[in-house]
Amino acid sequence: MNFASDLYQKRTSKRTRILALVLALWVFGIFFRLIDLQVFRHARLRGQVLKQNQDITKILPTRGTIYDRNGKILARSIPVPSVFFSPPAEEPAELEMQTIRKVEKILGLGAKDLDRIKARLQKKSSFTWIKRKTEAPSAEQIKALGLNGIGSLDEPKRFYPQGTLAAHVLGGVDIDDKGLSGIELAYDEILRGKEGESLILRDVKRRGYYSEVLKAPENGKDITLTIDETIQYISEKELEKAVVENKAHWGTVIISQPATGEILAMASVPTFNPNAYPPPSPQDDINRAIRYNFEPGSTFKIVTASAALENRRVRLSDLFDCSEGLIDVAGSPIRDHQKFGLLTFPEVVIHSSNVGMIQVGQRIGQDALWRTVQAFGFGRKTGIDLPAEESGILPNWGKRTLPALSIGYEISVTALQILQAMNIIANRGALVPPRIVRAVQGSPLNPSRNTGAAAPAISEKTAEQLIQILERVVVEGTGQSAWTSGYAIAGKTGTTQKYDPELKAYSSAKHIASFVGFAPIEKPMISMIVVLDEPQKAQHYGGQVAAPVFRDIAGRVLRYTHVWPQKNLEKAVVAAKLWRDGQR
Amino acid sequence: MVHKKRTKKEIAQGALASLLTVLILTFYLWHITENTQLGYAIGSCENELKSLQEGVQKLEAKKAALLSLERVERIAREELNLSEPRPDQVIYEDFERMP
Repeated sequence: MNFASDLYQKRTSKRTRILALVLALWVFGIFFRLIDLQVFRHARLRGQVLKQNQDITKILPTRGTIYDRNGKILARSIPVPSVFFSPPAEEPAELEMQTIRKVEKILGLGAKDLDRIKARLQKKSSFTWIKRKTEAPSAEQIKALGLNGIGSLDEPKRFYPQGTLAAHVLGGVDIDDKGLSGIELAYDEILRGKEGESLILRDVKRRGYYSEVLKAPENGKDITLTIDETIQYISEKELEKAVVENKAHWGTVIISQPATGEILAMASVPTFNPNAYPPPSPQDDINRAIRYNFEPGSTFKIVTASAALENRRVRLSDLFDCSEGLIDVAGSPIRDHQKFGLLTFPEVVIHSSNVGMIQVGQRIGQDALWRTVQAFGFGRKTGIDLPAEESGILPNWGKRTLPALSIGYEISVTALQILQAMNIIANRGALVPPRIVRAVQGSPLNPSRNTGAAAPAISEKTAEQLIQILERVVVEGTGQSAWTSGYAIAGKTGTTQKYDPELKAYSSAKHIASFVGFAPIEKPMISMIVVLDEPQKAQHYGGQVAAPVFRDIAGRVLRYTHVWPQKNLEKAVVAAKLWRDGQR
Repeated sequence: MVHKKRTKKEIAQGALASLLTVLILTFYLWHITENTQLGYAIGSCENELKSLQEGVQKLEAKKAALLSLERVERIAREELNLSEPRPDQVIYEDFERMP
């Protein structure tokens, strides 16, 4: 038994040792293989694996939203599908084009699109956009077709929910959401943000099971404008109506808050829809409020009158002989629209007499008038936060310059510069530069501008005297059509003859009609300028064409801003009060 | 060669060590699998969150478009036949005297 048992144990022991040896070899084999894989070939294999199962993708930042002053969305980027073609296998371009043609109708591809795609496919491009930023239903329809190689990716698209509203202020973007005009251009860097990068690990089915943000994207910052959606809407509607009714070439309206310089509305006609940028006609893209220089005509008389009062070259009781109805300036006459007789200084402004104002200008003299022109900010940009602002053109002094400048000729200005000049008077002498951006990402922009600590361009006394005169312009002068029942309004009309380069003279048929004013006089809530270019109807004076637009807009806007009409402000009552004050 | 007979205690210790090794390996595998599953879930949640945030953005923009003054005025005038009041139809109350 013992012998048999020993023999059995020996055999078992031998088998065990063999098994242990085999197992040990297997373990060592695995061990060495692991070392080979993990140490010697680690870098290369890791590279291969990562290439197979990881994606480093760009994280596109979201472009900032643009809001109006009350938080209403004016522009926002939303994701929309872009359809692409990525050839699954190498095939002739003609064969690939057959696949593309299956989506031609759904995406509304034109001959140009097809030529572009074909050219890309002939170059053996691995990725070709078929149509970028298309409608979601079209992308769904294409997905349902299950075409090999055709897919879609979401891309942000700029959306302007209000359509044409404030188009010239907002501007537009290109296909890559890069700002091309307006606020979109001026604040492109702030709105755009910065791209980020993320690492995504994927399994064999390309499902992501691990993601890591390598570089966080910086979303674009939101911008809040000073524009008020409702005031902008009222302005645009009234301006559009006036341009159509008067068959004008173009028109512009700007409304601001004098104390802060904040622009509440800036409208230009013709306009465009920023959702389909660029507009078909480049002319539609021009923001006439800041990008068009014109001779202001009689609205500029507020500057001449300011210079006269500020430099004490006239007294309110001084009389000017306007009985001839014309005045000789360097050999050629400048006329009034009627013969006035003797006019006091306020009456010269009230009736907008060219003859009277030229005499005032001659009393002021070149230097004093020039100083006031510069103090009012003419000849330089206002600094509004919009691109391509014109600075206006100052005159080269000649024989006719002083009289011409006194009545608003030989100088070119923008509508915004004239409004800024009127704001100086409304602010009792303080120049507050206009601005259109209120806050960036909730933080007020240039808050110091709100303090009211602005540079005085003229004295408070001069401004007060001028305001009384400008109130009479609306009550009894050329600006009577701007009278808005229940409100005390100060304003000035302007009618400019346009210079005709072909005739090399001022045209008697082409005019620019304008009106600039503010209300209420005591505590100005709004100031506004209305400009209409070449009104084609018989009436072409600023008081006939632009002043009614001012009245229609001002009444609605003042009620909207809760400035209620006053019962005692009927026109006859105000006229009597002003007459009585004038007698004192 | 003398084969040393293992005691019950040694066998029990060996079995326990093996069991522990198996348990640790099992836990490790479970941990890896669970991590991967959580990765899928997080990825899916992140996608859903992004999609919902985009949805909110789209809805806000759509709301703004639906409430655009142009559209509101058109509906008021054309569908509801509303018009602006004449000046004599508007009464301004004395707000200052109101409590």
